[in-house]
Amino acid sequence: MKIVACYSNKGGVGKTATSVNLAYACAMSGKQTLLCDMDPQGASGFYFRVKPSRKLKKQAFFKDVDCFTGAIRASDYDNLDLLPANMSYRDFDIFLSRMKNRRSRLKKALKAVGNEYDVIILDCPPNISLLSENVFKVADKIVVPVIPTTLSERTLEQLYNFFNNNKYQKKKLLPFISMMQKRKNLHKETRLRLQKKYKNFLDNSIPFSTDIEKMGVNRAPVLAYARSSPAAKAYEKLWSAIQDKVKF
Amino acid sequence: MEPFVFTLPPGKNLKKLRRHLDNDTLYDLVVKKGELVDCSILDTFDNEIRLSKRILLLTGQALLLINLANGRIIEQQSGSTWSFLSELEDGPVAGSLKGVSRLRAFMVVSRLKIRRDMGLILDDEGKTRARLHIVSFFRKKRSLQLGITQSLRGYERAHADLKSWLMKMGANLCRDVGEMYSRLGVKPKNYSAKPDIFLASEDPIKESATTIIRTYINVSRQNETGVVADYDTEFLHDYRVSFRKVRSVLSLFKGVYGAEQTAQLKQEFADLMKQTNRLRDLDVYLLGREDYFQMVPESSHEGLGILFDAISKERVNEHKKVCKMIERKSYRRQIDEWVDLYAGGNLTSGPNAMKSSNQYVAGLILKRYRKVCRIARGIDETTTDEVVHELRIHCKKLRYLMEFSLPLFSKKKVKVLIRALKVLQDNLGRFNDYSVQQVSLGVFMSGQSMSGKKSLKVAESIGALTAMLYQLQYRERNLVMENFAHFDSERIHASFIELFQLEE
Repeated sequence: MKIVACYSNKGGVGKTATSVNLAYACAMSGKQTLLCDMDPQGASGFYFRVKPSRKLKKQAFFKDVDCFTGAIRASDYDNLDLLPANMSYRDFDIFLSRMKNRRSRLKKALKAVGNEYDVIILDCPPNISLLSENVFKVADKIVVPVIPTTLSERTLEQLYNFFNNNKYQKKKLLPFISMMQKRKNLHKETRLRLQKKYKNFLDNSIPFSTDIEKMGVNRAPVLAYARSSPAAKAYEKLWSAIQDKVKF
Repeated sequence: MEPFVFTLPPGKNLKKLRRHLDNDTLYDLVVKKGELVDCSILDTFDNEIRLSKRILLLTGQALLLINLANGRIIEQQSGSTWSFLSELEDGPVAGSLKGVSRLRAFMVVSRLKIRRDMGLILDDEGKTRARLHIVSFFRKKRSLQLGITQSLRGYERAHADLKSWLMKMGANLCRDVGEMYSRLGVKPKNYSAKPDIFLASEDPIKESATTIIRTYINVSRQNETGVVADYDTEFLHDYRVSFRKVRSVLSLFKGVYGAEQTAQLKQEFADLMKQTNRLRDLDVYLLGREDYFQMVPESSHEGLGILFDAISKERVNEHKKVCKMIERKSYRRQIDEWVDLYAGGNLTSGPNAMKSSNQYVAGLILKRYRKVCRIARGIDETTTDEVVHELRIHCKKLRYLMEFSLPLFSKKKVKVLIRALKVLQDNLGRFNDYSVQQVSLGVFMSGQSMSGKKSLKVAESIGALTAMLYQLQYRERNLVMENFAHFDSERIHASFIELFQLEE
């Protein structure tokens, strides 16, 4: 099982749209996928029309296997399940390591209900907290959307510094350009500069697109309602690039 | 939550289900209606798909496999024309059919039309909470609606609600493909190579032997069309095995029928079988083609290719001969005579005719079992191959006797013994096959008229193959003692005594 986190310490960069579309692309490739909505605003759940469960407000959520497995909801798409937003992620690190441990009760419980996930995608909240640090430790790769602005560049630099200072593995970070406008030279230059600066910076970029904006109206991944749009194709390519890096 | 697999009573459909939903403000039903398409139901001759509670449908180039036992619907493209599982492209359907015989051809059971509709139970946010697949079958003037519900994780309650609405509509649980066939007027052939035979323990053995022979003549006859049409090699195989069983009854059940009549019938059956021997041998070679190629070094592949081309050509001719035989009037007359004879015709009686069936068969089994043990216990590294061959023949006879005895004794217990014997028998069977193949490859070569160069290549490959077959035969030979030791256990001995040592 692989864990791919979608993280940015800056808000409004298209993080949830990325998580939702990557999870969809992953499921379409035949992998059993679980998307964990860890953002308290619960936007991933909104895009899949999934209402948060009452059970999730319980404090010891991640300690209670039955509570956890009972909170998972099937999406409308094959191979794709969702864990709706939960306000308390206190024991999330323990939970994630249990997911990885074959012999854990959690893993067995998931297997028993026919949900042994191949990939878990985490839609993380936009801050550096105990939760995100746990994610940095346990995720196999961390996808970081960066919008081509000076401010966003600075935030990425801060993230790399944070990884340096805390000795987290920088090779886990997979930044890419989000909301790219090809006509703008500034965007192209920023991408080139960042690619030179960061070894793992992906070639892929997600365009600034009204198709993505319509996700809120359609309440579905772009890939589900506008499959042939440039935005959908970009997400597909992004997932395939991540897949190569994760090495399934 | 388990899917609910059901059929709808005539006159009920998804529209009527919607009416039930209208009273419930929580959910909405959206129906995506499919198109009416031509379709064929596929199965093997021995109905492997139907008996495993599944239906395999071919619509255009798409295959659809519906499992009534677990409610799974699997689809894949079938690709170009295929008859055997090995020819079907990899995909979910091919994967799910893995347990089906690779030797059996898939044939059309019936042609009909189908339409697939999908129902979605939605909540107030438009989120799907349960799914409903409806496959409507139309054949001549009959129709049938098969439904399968699908529960979604975390929304089990919606699924339970859906199930209860369907039940209120009169939906009936459906787990039997046969029931669907009969509602659609599809009449499949109920073929089995090993049909259930009903015998009574106290009946005279002559009566039981006659029932067994009559049953197996009938099994053979059911394969005639398939042998001629050459759908797959199992038709000829089953045809021969059934006649072999008939011959076994005649030769093993001594003194049941009059000596003269038995001798004559044995000869008649043997003469018939002889005419299909060569075709079966060639089939066995061709089925093992890949294994043979893997056995020899690549340098021998060219010769082996020429050899197999010759085998394929000979098979074409041999198959024609067998077809002619089956289509001959004299053959039909002969079969009809046998059918009449064993349907209550003039069968003479031997001295044992009136013995009770179970006493008689139990006696034969014990005698044969002891013989097998006596020979096998005497086998060591120095024993000649002839003795191993003798053991094989006795094991085969013991196997047939036990199979015949199934209706007379505890089926479960006899099957345990058959399984125990099977390991040894398979071992001996392979030993025999490798030995026979070595000889017959040489004979095959001498019967061919090839040019010098070709003949040299073939001779080289046969040489390489013979060396490998010898090694394999030797390996099997060494396993005989080990496998017999397993069969020769206290437990198995006690079972034989318990089952077959009957008080007079």
